[in-house]
Amino acid sequence: MTLKSFFEGARDGRLTAVRCTACGGLAIPPKEFCPACGKRGWQAAPLSGSGTIASYTVIRVAPRKFAPEAPYALAQVRLAEGVSILGRIVDVPLDRLAIGLAVKFHPLVRGDQTGIAFGPA
Amino acid sequence: MRRVAVIGVGVTKFGRHDRSSGELFAEAAVEALADAELEPSAIQALYYGNVVGGETEKQLHCGPQAASILGITGVPTTRFETACASSHAAFRHAVMEVGAGISDIVMVGGGERVLNVPTEDSTEYFAYASDAIWEQPLGLTFPGVFALVARAHMHKHGTTEEQMAAVAVKNHRHGTLNPKAQFRKEITLEQVMTSAKVADPLKLYDCCPFSDGGAAVILASEDVARSRKRAVWVLGSSAASDWMLIGDKPDLSRVLATERAAAAAYRQAGLGPQDVDVVELHDCFTIAEIVATEGLGLFEPGMGGVAAEKGWTSLGGKVPVNPSGGLKAKGHPIGATGAAQVAEIVTQLRGEAGPRQVGGAKTGLVHTLGGNTATVVVSVLGRE
Ligand SMILES: [Zn+2]
Repeated sequence: MTLKSFFEGARDGRLTAVRCTACGGLAIPPKEFCPACGKRGWQAAPLSGSGTIASYTVIRVAPRKFAPEAPYALAQVRLAEGVSILGRIVDVPLDRLAIGLAVKFHPLVRGDQTGIAFGPA
Repeated sequence: MRRVAVIGVGVTKFGRHDRSSGELFAEAAVEALADAELEPSAIQALYYGNVVGGETEKQLHCGPQAASILGITGVPTTRFETACASSHAAFRHAVMEVGAGISDIVMVGGGERVLNVPTEDSTEYFAYASDAIWEQPLGLTFPGVFALVARAHMHKHGTTEEQMAAVAVKNHRHGTLNPKAQFRKEITLEQVMTSAKVADPLKLYDCCPFSDGGAAVILASEDVARSRKRAVWVLGSSAASDWMLIGDKPDLSRVLATERAAAAAYRQAGLGPQDVDVVELHDCFTIAEIVATEGLGLFEPGMGGVAAEKGWTSLGGKVPVNPSGGLKAKGHPIGATGAAQVAEIVTQLRGEAGPRQVGGAKTGLVHTLGGNTATVVVSVLGRE
């Protein structure tokens, strides 16, 4: 799976990992060699998009180009399938953020850019 | 490997300067040469750390530039970039060059200038040390990375914001004893707790400052160093990495690169955490010091915050950590930080640290972390 196809899928609301054909291990984003077994054979593995917050922060001092969006929330989200990814948290009040909070994948589309984000489950 | 020693150190005052990173490095290098009682022509190679020169000074190719400013052109130079661990990575490679018998006298240093650009820009440049495809477009910042670490540590171990604040209070107190520190004033727990939020739960006083500065150390082979009474020996120097992406790190309450690099450095030295008398470690954020004291084995996992709160890491405590004031108070000119930390431990082991001296220190440890916790370098130094 290329980065281009990953982000095209994400733009349409599909979060996709890759599954090792040797040991069944999952990876997101894709890697060349399987971190679990060292083999190099993958197939696309669509994820449910459901997960829980493993850690989070609210960015208040932002880089120049993100300053107008601050404050905004970022979280490491543990997906139901076991892998994790960093994403924005959107549509959740900042004072409701908590480790363990259930969230659902929600693409963050800005022009031709697609980012990883999660909203309320 | 031949034995390798540090025979000279030099550091500029950290803070705001109206000089280039190359000039700042050169000031430190001149001091290191005088300290080592060497002529510049004795230097056989330069290992150099610089991180955001391309952004803040429009300057790449900093190695030969630094050598040229110093007037030692001709020697091989290399610029190292491992984010905030750059000049400690340079140090490790220089140790290998001398240890391997390729050179007898090598200079390691670094210089950084960032206070010539606005904070919104330096915040962006530092964020370049996170992934450009998966993380920067989300607006992840350097404080944001450690805020995620802090939340995970608080959740797993019950670490409190007050315990993090205790690290800042302690390092500022130590900084008052260091004439080269950027901040030389004490702060209160209350001041930390009520300072502006940067990336929850981290507040302004949980964060080290942006700094300009330079540092240099001179390494020598055993033959050169043997007759020198003030030589400090490199007992171990090791580096490790971890997953680049936050999403791939299995437990944000730990820094695995610290644990790996420390294990290897202790093994090289034939020592363990119980043997360490003084530590300079990477407190880019208060939580970073707490997690590092655990990863280095100085305290059990979950006890780093307690150790700070109880004064175990203060001067006069069980294991004094960051007697220089650390990155928090001494300052953090990122490309120079690792060499400056080495310089502090050398000064401590020589017994020349004045009012911040850790009495009787024989073994010291230096820990430097790169950016998003994906790089760590650990060195163990000792005197005869
Ligand atoms: Zn596998």
